[in-house]
Amino acid sequence: MTRRLALVALAIGLWSAACGAQTETPGSATVTVDAAMVKGAAEAPVTIVEFSDYQ
Amino acid sequence: MLGQVLAEFPGKVRLVFKDFPLDFRPGARPAAEAARCAGALGRFWEYHDLLFLAQPAFSRGDLVAYASRLGLDRAAFSACLEAGRYRRAVDGDVAEGRALGVTGTPTFFVNGRRMVGAHPIETFREAVQDALADAARK
Repeated sequence: MTRRLALVALAIGLWSAACGAQTETPGSATVTVDAAMVKGAAEAPVTIVEFSDYQ
Repeated sequence: MLGQVLAEFPGKVRLVFKDFPLDFRPGARPAAEAARCAGALGRFWEYHDLLFLAQPAFSRGDLVAYASRLGLDRAAFSACLEAGRYRRAVDGDVAEGRALGVTGTPTFFVNGRRMVGAHPIETFREAVQDALADAARK
């Protein structure tokens, strides 16, 4: 039912106050996205990535 | 709370959840794996919400009981959990978080802008508005 998106890369730029750099910049990184663990529109201009645990 | 942010900016925001179970919280890792098992059965977010309400009661029996409460296939869920089917996926999230400098939870990235710790909803609203303004300038 749920499919794992293999290495669908979501670029996370390490935020720079100077230039607001976001993607594909030095210091950026990619994270894998599991389709089951995403909410909201796929083409949304803003992505919030939350690293969390349950305790 | 982030669900409210998504509702306030329809079509503008998406939320990606990544596991980052901290080692000193022994229930966190099995809970993370259990949520992914629920996700495989189509109910990740419902299970995720249930875990936050139920914390820290995360014994194996608790985790299976929560799945049953959501009407998930108990045998399939238990088999997933027992097999550690998502252990490596959770490890992968932790590795990605560490690569990004994540050391504690929760840590958020709003279009790459880091926000560490719990914040009031107003802070997320502002971060989303800033990110939308940045996106509009590009």
